[in-house]
Amino acid sequence: MSNETLQVQFCGFGGQGIVLSSQIFGTASVRGPKLNAVQTQSFGSEARGGECQAELILSNGTIYSPSADEVDLMVALSQPALNQYEERLKPGGWLVIDPELVTSTGRDDVEVIELEARKVAGELGLELVANMVVLGFLGEATGVFSPEDLFDVIEESVRDKFVELDVEAAKKGMEIARERGISMEVALDESG
Amino acid sequence: MLGNYALVEGALAAGCDFFAGYPITPANEISERMANRLPAVGGKFLQSEDELCSIYSVTGASLCGAKAMTATASAGFNYMQEGLGYASSVEAPCVIVDVQRCRGENYATQSDVMQMKWGASGDYEVVVLAPSSVQELFDYTVEAFNIAEKYRIPVIVMSETTIALMRENLTIPEPGEIEIEERDRPEVPPEDFLPFSPNDRGVPPMPSFGEGYHTLYSLNPHDEAGNINWDPDTYENMYERVLGKIQDNIDDVSIVEEHFADDADTILVAYGSEFRPAMDATLRARDEGLSVGLLKLGTVWPVPEKELAGAAEAADTVISVEMNVGKYTREVERVCGPRAEVRSVTKNRGSIHTAGEIYSAIKEVS
Amino acid sequence: MSDIDSYREKLRPGSLPHFFCPGCGCGQIMNFFLQAADEVDLDFDNLVAVGGVGCTARIPVYLDADALHGIHGRVLPWATGIKLHKPQLDVVVFAGDGGVGAIGGNHFIQAARRNLDVTVIVVNNLNFAMTGGQVSPTTPSGLNTMTTPYGNREERFDLYELAHSAGATFFSRWNTFHYQQATDSIKKALNHEGFSVVEILSQCPTHFGRYALGSGEPTRGMEWIEEKSITISDAHELTGEEKKDKFVLGDFYSEERPVFAGSTVYVEEK
Repeated sequence: MSNETLQVQFCGFGGQGIVLSSQIFGTASVRGPKLNAVQTQSFGSEARGGECQAELILSNGTIYSPSADEVDLMVALSQPALNQYEERLKPGGWLVIDPELVTSTGRDDVEVIELEARKVAGELGLELVANMVVLGFLGEATGVFSPEDLFDVIEESVRDKFVELDVEAAKKGMEIARERGISMEVALDESG
Repeated sequence: MLGNYALVEGALAAGCDFFAGYPITPANEISERMANRLPAVGGKFLQSEDELCSIYSVTGASLCGAKAMTATASAGFNYMQEGLGYASSVEAPCVIVDVQRCRGENYATQSDVMQMKWGASGDYEVVVLAPSSVQELFDYTVEAFNIAEKYRIPVIVMSETTIALMRENLTIPEPGEIEIEERDRPEVPPEDFLPFSPNDRGVPPMPSFGEGYHTLYSLNPHDEAGNINWDPDTYENMYERVLGKIQDNIDDVSIVEEHFADDADTILVAYGSEFRPAMDATLRARDEGLSVGLLKLGTVWPVPEKELAGAAEAADTVISVEMNVGKYTREVERVCGPRAEVRSVTKNRGSIHTAGEIYSAIKEVS
Repeated sequence: MSDIDSYREKLRPGSLPHFFCPGCGCGQIMNFFLQAADEVDLDFDNLVAVGGVGCTARIPVYLDADALHGIHGRVLPWATGIKLHKPQLDVVVFAGDGGVGAIGGNHFIQAARRNLDVTVIVVNNLNFAMTGGQVSPTTPSGLNTMTTPYGNREERFDLYELAHSAGATFFSRWNTFHYQQATDSIKKALNHEGFSVVEILSQCPTHFGRYALGSGEPTRGMEWIEEKSITISDAHELTGEEKKDKFVLGDFYSEERPVFAGSTVYVEEK
């Protein structure tokens, strides 16, 4: 009964779209193959700027524990958040960071992937859509969800006026992953 | 679906038609969705000026016949204690949601578990449900309304940040598939009616305001006619019945799930979200051949003593798992202590146990 | 059929004798209400009488209607729940100066702001009486009570100013001396659609009388209040300082405004 699971954690500060990213990742993931998903979040009492993290577990089996002992993939968009959570990364796991926001990690046993999401988003006209660049990048690199599902879920999750830009940002993220040949192999077969 | 939303859908499925709430994180999505959904289906939504107004407007609506609910988080639940005592005393059915959070912060905890039962002055019994998932936030909320109606008591849905802000799959049954309880109504005309004379479950039938029954609902000790009456016998009898109607029907209101608990040497006891890592840890330990079982308490109050005692009887060790400083452990100790060694595994760091943390505790005793 | 027997029929069977002290104004004010209710044909089957805790709060206990009692200061939250769920019910709140001026002050303000369609009869006996005569938010400055043995050093609330600025749509004030006017104002309040307040200054011989006035004689209490009472038109002639220790009596105002039907009300999309 060994289920295949993927544990993902997004961390940063409030206002970066951390929770929304995990939500879209999870929702897009359950659109395609028959996967189960549990997404949880925690944040401080500040509406903006405080520490914020969201965790996502995908599995082809029943998911009990909503918080994993180790995570396979971590996206860190602030240095303090990474400092707090990096010990949770599985040895050999993936750490996706924005080098503008995160400059150092204490982990040398993980694969660090730098993605200049904020810069790319800024070039598109709005730094706030950095999280969408990340999502497109992750979708392409992991293959957990299809581009179509991602675009659909983005459209359902954000306000109308942002849809076009968000989708564009996600496409840009996908393009970057393709160009750089980044692949994070995830074994998540459809559940029986 | 988001846990807080699932809870609202459960309430609506149960027939909730009055909601009052005061803003507080992480319960806001409950108010927000209620504000959106309730008026559209003929219910009334109130953003109250404080949690006292929430609980008392809920009580007022309930006495008019409403299926009424309020939701708050820990700090707001403090304020509601007074109204909880009143609702219990006049036997006004209602549902209270407490999304437990760490003091002043929104991080996860189960630290209100004792306040659920002991927060208000005087004597009362409440039923407290402890859902562990988004699905159970729906299912248990339906159940909360049913118990409230059937026994004329405030019922508490003890939620947590963990599940309130969790997104996972929810299956909403077809309306016809959901069992709905309604309060017993008087079968006699007003002149023959005694508002606090119980049926065979110990629960008085209940008219609504405006039906000519002229009922007085006072916190003060009252006789079967509802008249304020300070008399030691009246007082003693009143509380004997108000407490007894729950204590005598504990099997009917309790929800306990046993997982491999029949013959296990080590039994885990967990409630709310902590069931989930405990279940993972149990499965992992059993995979390795360890004799481990798990008791999931879907209701924490009244304490399901029969089930706890039964599980402890066959076991050597009982491990009480909680996300606080180890509060409910004392109840586990009280019931299981004479039958098995009781250990406490706690985590008071604003986040749920991982399976590995609980597994380590199992290994220590195995 | 305005006679004493018809009022007696409106009392809850088995609830007497009442617990008011001899000479207390609460009994008088209950009579004012019964007379007003009779004259406006208030249907007691459709009435919910709400009282909190305190002397005034006991009035609903003696009325043969649906009633709430026993929690201090929460009268308006109860009434809010009732009026939202069953707007067709008549809700009359009986509260003291402590209930609306102190512990339930915010509820009073918010219910006034919302224009909740209820009538609030405030029996202002100028102190916390049931608990033994402590200072209240309406106790005049300088007076002695059990908790102001050296005189009250706080300023008092004017409930008219409070209710008016919060958004109440009807306000009258009388004292127990003026039973006819008080009864008439209660009738107007019962007929008013919206948040109506009738404040009645009332003697408390047992506590306020003895500690603040030095006399436990009910008539002395009534006279003391009446001596300080002036009409609204008299009040116009006085400066703020001169009005400071007066009780201004009269029908202050009556306005129309939509009544509260919930914090958000569904509107079908066109």
